[in-house]
Amino acid sequence: MYALKRVGQAAVTLLSVITITFALIRALPGGPGDAIRAQVMQSGGSSNVDMTQLNALVESYTNVDPSTPLYVQYWDYVTSILQGDLGQSIWYGRPVSEIIVQALPWTVLLLTIAILLTFAIGIVLGAAMAYAEGTDFDVGSTVVSMLLNSVPYYIAAILLVYFLSIQFGVFPQSGNVSSGLEPSLSLSYVGDVLYHAVLPVASLVITGFGGTAITMRGNAIQEIGEDYIRVAHLRGVPGRRIAVRYVGRNAILPMYTQFMISVGFMFGGSVILEQIFAYPGLGYYLLEAISTRDYPLMMGGFLVIAVAVMICVLIADLTYSRIDPRISDDDAREAY
Amino acid sequence: MTTMQPTDVSTVEDPIFEVRNTSVSFDMARGESNVLDSVSMDVRRGEVLGVVGESGSGKSMFASALLDAVVDPGMVTGDITFHPESGEPVEILGLPEDEIKRIRWEQIAMVFQGAMSSFNPTMTVGAHFEETLSVHDRPVEAGMDRARDLLSELYLEPAQVLGSYPHELSGGMKQRALIALALVLDPEVLVMDEPTAALDLLMQRNIIELIKQIAAERDLTIVFITHDLPLVANLADRLAVLYAFEFVEVGPAYEVLTGAKHPYTRALLNSTPNLDTPREEMQPIAGAAPDPVSVPDGCSYHPRCPLADERCVEEDPPLDADDPADDHAAACHYVERVREEIPLTLQEVRRHE
Repeated sequence: MYALKRVGQAAVTLLSVITITFALIRALPGGPGDAIRAQVMQSGGSSNVDMTQLNALVESYTNVDPSTPLYVQYWDYVTSILQGDLGQSIWYGRPVSEIIVQALPWTVLLLTIAILLTFAIGIVLGAAMAYAEGTDFDVGSTVVSMLLNSVPYYIAAILLVYFLSIQFGVFPQSGNVSSGLEPSLSLSYVGDVLYHAVLPVASLVITGFGGTAITMRGNAIQEIGEDYIRVAHLRGVPGRRIAVRYVGRNAILPMYTQFMISVGFMFGGSVILEQIFAYPGLGYYLLEAISTRDYPLMMGGFLVIAVAVMICVLIADLTYSRIDPRISDDDAREAY
Repeated sequence: MTTMQPTDVSTVEDPIFEVRNTSVSFDMARGESNVLDSVSMDVRRGEVLGVVGESGSGKSMFASALLDAVVDPGMVTGDITFHPESGEPVEILGLPEDEIKRIRWEQIAMVFQGAMSSFNPTMTVGAHFEETLSVHDRPVEAGMDRARDLLSELYLEPAQVLGSYPHELSGGMKQRALIALALVLDPEVLVMDEPTAALDLLMQRNIIELIKQIAAERDLTIVFITHDLPLVANLADRLAVLYAFEFVEVGPAYEVLTGAKHPYTRALLNSTPNLDTPREEMQPIAGAAPDPVSVPDGCSYHPRCPLADERCVEEDPPLDADDPADDHAAACHYVERVREEIPLTLQEVRRHE
């Protein structure tokens, strides 16, 4: 029941996102219609361009025919997006969906590795800090975590590029894979892809794990002070099991939603990162689209990011009850 | 402070616990805090010993010391000898970690003040039982049968409770489930530290009745810690009164309740709120309980005691009975004057059965 309701809500959100995207197209000064018209007029050089032809051109790029009434335009836009047609990129001259399908896996690759590492390092370090509360290690780690967490990832990225690739040449400066390598599952190709991913991932992880560690530390310290931890010790439960099953699990729970939301938000954050490393992911194309006024591509990018956040939050909501029994997603369980 | 010699009253026949000169202290910035000050007390096998005292009198420390489970950074010193039913006596303090882990819960179990939060919220109640059985290398199947029996005896529906998560149970159910969990390894001693503190009055009486029943059936020794004298009156065989981190009186429950020998115990009895007592007749004890960093010299109760004189300020009275055969004693220089000078106003104490 809850799942159905929640998916229904997500559908409404999706429709709202599409609607806002549609409104944005029309609201932007010098919007895509004008941009295309201006382009055609510039290249045609004359004022006697056929308006119907022009409108057809605008429609093929943006899925919206400016000559039809607003509700028809809206209907056309929504239906074509739901069919996976995001329009035509002006700059690249290819369907937007094609560009996104090609770029998205690279972004997902970077972000998955970065987020998993961020949370893994943060959780382990945070738990270790909690167990060593008040020691030099704890104080030192807190300071380092705070410090690194306050560095914006793009500053870290620029520093890493400057030192590790330009000065020392340890890692490649840009791109996702060496030119000339054929995509395959061979060791050399996969290795090369990971090699190129090291710096972008590192800049996200280095500036990100501190926040996770400090949150985890706080949660774990609170857990360690709970009565049931003391009872578990008295019951003879081994310390390692208490650390994992009692302290760890209960301290991580509140961070789960944060984890899923951060997945969504990192899609947005990838824009500048991929630009710095000229990494051809979603963010890279989005920024290209903005600088070349490629509205259809821009809109497609925004839409994908919004949908990504939405899906992650939806997954978090639907799975939370599986990991925390106190949140029940149906009426099957009773309280006595 | 004079040292307390083991006397007739702190020793009993067939003790299960012999506590001698045991102290618990915490190092604090403003000095050493003695939250249990060289106490000696025996626990008789099979009895229910009620340990009564106000907040901050050291009663929880006494309970934790019995299992060497005082929270860090507390330091326990002294001798606590545990006499298991079969086998050699064991020195609890200073036992290697793996050996004390065997004794805890298998022979001495404890139910805490925070019963409401004694279960891991992300594990079913049943998983706590299974976990406890398996870490102590007990056969899980047989142990779970025993757990089901215990739960039924405590008027719980075993299948329902074992399959529930802690938040799905009411406070009273959780409390009873915790008692069952404490008894699942069939311990000889159950230490209960204010086990009913978070429950309503009806549920408290209810639980006390159940504890009484279970203790009788299983030859269980119970050390019951509480601040609530009337609550324990019905349950305890003997009462020991703690004041300022020392035992000031010990004796058979009924005798302590009706003929308390220590001025503090009498004041405590007189200050017990009772629904029938008009408010103007309530007698709170004047003054405040001493600070653990600076306990008064001599008798620690002298600043609040109406009988106190020079001698009380200078000399710490031992916990001694006038008559060596008497098992009821108070640490007071003027035991013989107490009865007349501090009359008991308590109208009725239900006879302990």
